[in-house]
Amino acid sequence: MQKQPITPKGIINNYGATFAFIIAIIFFSFASQGFFSGQNLQNILVQSTSLGICAFGLTFVLITGEIDLSYGGVIGLVGAVLAGMLKDGHSIGLVTVVCLAIGLGTGLLNAILIVVLNLPSFLASVAVMFICMGAERIYNQGVTTWIRDPSVLSIVQGSVGPVPLPVLYLFALFFICWFLQTQTKAGQYVRALGENISAVKEVGIRASLLKSGVFVFAGLIFAFAGYIEILRIGGAVMYAGSHLLLSVLAACFLGTATFKAGKANFPGTLIGAFFLYTLLSGFTALGMKFYLVPFAQGLILIISVAISSARRGKIEQVQF
Amino acid sequence: MGGQENIVIRTEQVSKSFPGVRALKELDFEVTRGEVHALCGENGAGKSTLMKIIVREYVEDEGNIFIEGHNVEGLGIRGVQELGLSIIHQELNLIPMLTVAQNICLGREPVNWIGKIDWKSMRKMAEEFLSEVTSEIDVENFVENLSISEQQLVAIARSLVTSPRILILDEPTARLDQKSSDSFFSFIERAKQKDLTVVYISHRLEEIYRICDRVTVLRDGKKIITEQINELPQTELVKYMLGREITQQVPKESVPIGEVKLSVKDLFPKEKGANINFDLKSGEILGIVGSIGAGKSEVARAIFGADPKKKGTISVAGKEVKINTPQDAIREGLALIPEERRDQGLVGNESVRKNMTMAALKKKFCVGPSWIQKDKEIEAVETSIRTLRIATPGTEQEVQFLSGGTQQKVVVAKWLMSDSSIYIFDEPTKGIDVGGKYDIYKLIVDLARQGAGIIFISNELMEVLSLCDRVLVMFNGQIIKGLETVATNREELLFYVMGGRDYAETANNSKGYH
Repeated sequence: MQKQPITPKGIINNYGATFAFIIAIIFFSFASQGFFSGQNLQNILVQSTSLGICAFGLTFVLITGEIDLSYGGVIGLVGAVLAGMLKDGHSIGLVTVVCLAIGLGTGLLNAILIVVLNLPSFLASVAVMFICMGAERIYNQGVTTWIRDPSVLSIVQGSVGPVPLPVLYLFALFFICWFLQTQTKAGQYVRALGENISAVKEVGIRASLLKSGVFVFAGLIFAFAGYIEILRIGGAVMYAGSHLLLSVLAACFLGTATFKAGKANFPGTLIGAFFLYTLLSGFTALGMKFYLVPFAQGLILIISVAISSARRGKIEQVQF
Repeated sequence: MGGQENIVIRTEQVSKSFPGVRALKELDFEVTRGEVHALCGENGAGKSTLMKIIVREYVEDEGNIFIEGHNVEGLGIRGVQELGLSIIHQELNLIPMLTVAQNICLGREPVNWIGKIDWKSMRKMAEEFLSEVTSEIDVENFVENLSISEQQLVAIARSLVTSPRILILDEPTARLDQKSSDSFFSFIERAKQKDLTVVYISHRLEEIYRICDRVTVLRDGKKIITEQINELPQTELVKYMLGREITQQVPKESVPIGEVKLSVKDLFPKEKGANINFDLKSGEILGIVGSIGAGKSEVARAIFGADPKKKGTISVAGKEVKINTPQDAIREGLALIPEERRDQGLVGNESVRKNMTMAALKKKFCVGPSWIQKDKEIEAVETSIRTLRIATPGTEQEVQFLSGGTQQKVVVAKWLMSDSSIYIFDEPTKGIDVGGKYDIYKLIVDLARQGAGIIFISNELMEVLSLCDRVLVMFNGQIIKGLETVATNREELLFYVMGGRDYAETANNSKGYH
């Protein structure tokens, strides 16, 4: 839809991050033996699924102009309950429903705090994150619980033909989110309400209901991300979500530096998630110490936020 | 006029209060089917509040409202839309990063059976509504790429989507340039023929008399009169609005013109504009006119250091100065009263007092390192409130609760306190009522008399002609003409504003055709 004259500058502006992504792959392929093997690239894809899925949830929230960091706790809580309930002998069907219900509940809690009580979304969602972490600690007493049932693990560790299941989930969810946001009314309103909420209210759209819906939907996605993450690892490690906290944020902001001028968007987030994991696994392949990973992630986040706000700034200048 | 069934909007004894302000007092108001009904009043008279209550954005404290005979109590925004009501606000509520089509169809998108938006029929739908107003905007373009004037037309087209039978327009022409105004007025003409009822809020007498049938005047939240427009002379209407008589619109008086105060040479603003050269003398009021997008504000902002410049020199009192930031400009005695007062001139949730003394606090109201002398400050603020007739309940009122015109006066007061010697007013009277304009003109003349140099940027040619000594016409980023106001007239000025060359010659030639 976007009509823009194709100029070298415009291409770098619009696809800069995509180029950087490709350049990074080429760089690591030369710098580290075995990086550009089918097996390694497939690993990157599989390992970035829970990150990517979780980032889709956050992308929805970012589009409304809010933020939701509760996934940092939801993922761990879902993981603990998943592993714990399986260990207690409950059926995987029931466990799945409970996991999604946790996502629904935390999403609803966020919606009440942020939309109904009007608390700042950053603080409210961080509080929910800590509540979830606390609940996780109470539930599993800080003990790592492993999942050993192969039929359960095959939900995530299996594959359809050559395509690993998690990758399938990732792309399916990507398509659903992308479709909802760009091709349906509700998706349009979500975007619109992040841009100018009074414009949305003026045409009689119930903005608060819509926003609440976004938080609930995001909560569900976070729970799903936790579900996939724990089954992929094969056990519930303490505070599994906190490891993803920064990467998910970074993936979304890398996404805003791609495609849609400084605004959160799903194709951008997808590429951002791959890009981030490529960088991290590339650095690891080059022998970067594990404790430097957060350091690298922090740097990547700063750079992507800087690019993103620079682009947004430019857009606003054009307006006035 | 006709019976009950012909009354499309009726309010009975409607009252509404905001913190510190009683906006409406027991107001009765009626609009008949098919008329264009003007709603007039000074800023803060309650026009916008009344309209927002009618469209259910606000809820009244007391009273009843009927639309097409239905009591609107309990109805939401959507509910009154279904009764056939649509409003175009003073603020443009468009979404910049969506396309024109997406904006026009917002809330009414056509979808297929799985809920996917049908882009093709949406485009067609948008084109259909936009063509009612203009034929020069591409519906696939993004709103952020449009000029303000074009955005206003899009907003009007959007209000038609609900197929309204009653249209409320809140100062629709304030943002329109000449060309867009013409398409707007022909739209109103067509709408009238289709029996659409229009409530028209405006500050422009010429427009009101051109398109309206009846007029209701509000003052201080009360209805003063409803009258047929052709039975009410303009001077009477203004009198009702003001509640006092104004004999002369602009207090013109000759002020001795002194030495060159500000000299701009070869200025190329980075944003827009090229090769700007002019001198401003002390006691002189220099007008800058030009249509929207001509680059007037860009020149002002570049001089003031608010925007970067590519090149050019600026001299104050004959001495070349470096102005790269607004701080530099203030130090050299410049003041810029910006056009977008809410964005650029005020802190909304701070008091009138704090906003007014912000620029001069250190210089005038502090002793020692930074002790604020509050009684001195309050005294100065109270004096400003009196002399500028600022409609505020007190010095501590938060400015966000004041009306647009009143806010503008607060910005002006702020700069007056900073004791500048060169003032740049960027459309100071935009969206301000007659009485407010008068106060601002008077103040500008006072400043000139005290020896200040004044740049007066405006779109209203009449006020420029009567207030200024000299006028520069900008077109497409350049100064294309400088005129003495005594030696020109409105037609000549408009001719240059619209980009014409050699008025005298063209005027002579055109005589040949008649």
